[in-house]
Amino acid sequence: MRESVITTETIANPKSRYGSANASTRHFITQRVTGAINILFLALLLFIVVRLAGQDRADVVGLLGRWWIGVPFAALIANVAIHMRNGMRDTLEDYLAGSMYRLAMLLNTLFCLAVALLGAGAVLKIVFWG
Amino acid sequence: MAELTLRKADQPQKGKTWPKPEGATRLREFHVYRYDPDKADNPRIDTYFVDLDNCGPMILDALLYIKNNTDPTLTLRRSCREGICGSCSMNINGLNTLACTKGMDDSSGPIKIYPLPHMPVVKDLVPDLTNFYAQHRAIEPWLKTTSPTPEKEWTQSVENRAKLDGLYECILCACCSTSCPSYWWNGEKYLGPAALLQAYRWLIDSRDETQPERLDNLEDPFKLYRCHTIMNCAKVCPKGLNPAKAIAQIKKMMVERKAA
Repeated sequence: MRESVITTETIANPKSRYGSANASTRHFITQRVTGAINILFLALLLFIVVRLAGQDRADVVGLLGRWWIGVPFAALIANVAIHMRNGMRDTLEDYLAGSMYRLAMLLNTLFCLAVALLGAGAVLKIVFWG
Repeated sequence: MAELTLRKADQPQKGKTWPKPEGATRLREFHVYRYDPDKADNPRIDTYFVDLDNCGPMILDALLYIKNNTDPTLTLRRSCREGICGSCSMNINGLNTLACTKGMDDSSGPIKIYPLPHMPVVKDLVPDLTNFYAQHRAIEPWLKTTSPTPEKEWTQSVENRAKLDGLYECILCACCSTSCPSYWWNGEKYLGPAALLQAYRWLIDSRDETQPERLDNLEDPFKLYRCHTIMNCAKVCPKGLNPAKAIAQIKKMMVERKAA
């Protein structure tokens, strides 16, 4: 199996690059920062989940409608989406290459963007318009 | 594209059970991976018995006993027999280590011996380390300077020399790299713990004057950042080194450079 992966060029030039140098450190920083923020917001998420367990829509609006709960919660959803996109990038890089990777990465970005916009948008709607 | 299954031709099969040494009263059973590239057969697991009364205490002693007394075709690398050369690294009872420093009495029951995992096998317990050595070469493990060469030698303070402790001792046995799932998956792109430990050793050497260039060379989605801090490298290192910590330090240097 390995013979088909390691080429003589790889051996002759082990300094060959596989992606964007600048982006790699930026992705690393983004992943760690969003991960740390997720941990900080974990208490808020648990509070909301426990507080709203078995409640109806009026209770949800009542809780998330308070801006100091709703706005951080919307920010948390956006943060989770960014973290999810970066995490999926690692996985996709492991399994796919070339045009398949680029296509999967595009779908990944669109999916995470949709999650962030719909999730954060829905919460912000409750905060500002009930 | 990822291959998720082992090809049928690569799957080890039950091999031969070799006769027990005559007159032996204290026996130890060994299951050893055998593969001969000159034959079309699948790899096989042979069973051997070692007479403990006529053999030293280490796994390497047992393998040499087998080679000398039972099956001379068994192939393995070995040299110093005292944990310095790194030649006899292999997978023993599921853990990468040096056969010369691993005692037989560390475990009970049959001892299972395989070559280092996820490497192409040259023969039996001998893996092909060509790529591993190429990766070590890629980090340019030598002093690089831009200043004029001093008349006598490049000097270093005691404090700066102490920073290299825990790094320079690496014997390049490949136990760490071949225990790393990230290396298994991206072995041709990810440099692996051993090469990155040496990369850090030269990054923090006070005499080296090419740190930015060395960091540039490592800044790549695969070469460095495929380390996900799994820590198998630190667990298996027969010299007690911590490549994961060195990799974390390189990442820290990258972030600090970005933030500066």
